[in-house]
Amino acid sequence: MNDNFDEQRRQLIKRSISASTLALVAASGLMLPRVLLAHWPQDAFNAETLEDAILTFLGEAEEVNEEAIQFTIGSPPTYAVNGATVPVEIHTSLENIQRVAFLVEKNPFPLAMALEPTSAVIFPFKTMLKVAEDSEIIAMIRADDKLYRTSRYVEIDIGGCA
Amino acid sequence: MTTKSRDRIRAKLQDGNTVVRILLAHPMHTGRGKNAEDELIPAEFIQDIRCWRNDEEVLTVKCGTATSRNPYFAFQLEAGEVGDIIRLRWVDNIGSKGTAETTVV
Repeated sequence: MNDNFDEQRRQLIKRSISASTLALVAASGLMLPRVLLAHWPQDAFNAETLEDAILTFLGEAEEVNEEAIQFTIGSPPTYAVNGATVPVEIHTSLENIQRVAFLVEKNPFPLAMALEPTSAVIFPFKTMLKVAEDSEIIAMIRADDKLYRTSRYVEIDIGGCA
Repeated sequence: MTTKSRDRIRAKLQDGNTVVRILLAHPMHTGRGKNAEDELIPAEFIQDIRCWRNDEEVLTVKCGTATSRNPYFAFQLEAGEVGDIIRLRWVDNIGSKGTAETTVV
């Protein structure tokens, strides 16, 4: 009787240990798919070409070159003295926006900044980017599973990628 | 690792919408810049910024190295009222974190 009880007890302890180890492993993220882990979309930000960055972050979708985005760079527009702080402003009348991306074509890593706004956010959105040299700056919006793309060329006096 | 926060956040009600302006204090080293001794400065940049209004998450910003030093953001939130709490949290690539909070005026 006593032996039997002991056996059961051992079994129970063994099981609980393996269960808790499993839980630990799961919690540490070893078993989760990479996508869930990617708190910061490393692949997209480390992409070295424009196409890669767009594809990785925004995914494939029908691309529309659209007037629904108003995009301003620099002050005065299209010219920035200091590449370390290039003001950009994006304005749009689109709804159901899933993602917004700012890309600088000539930067070592083109994807500069990415937004995931909820419906509570109203554009314009203003921020500042670093731009290494004279380059095309692209703003892309993914809304309703379509990609809206617009770009501006900006001239830089002092490169800003230090 | 929480650095002493010099982050600034301002929120103001304007024409019925909430105007939010954020200025974070962060060096944003890309990992390619050099210091005075011509040594590379290791990368240190904000990767992830989240913004809440009261308890509702409203915006996530992911930054690459091409975000300017002391990052600045300005945007609006639909509606809102005086006394709403706008909260923000950032994390950089070496794990430093910061928070900033303000009430709408």
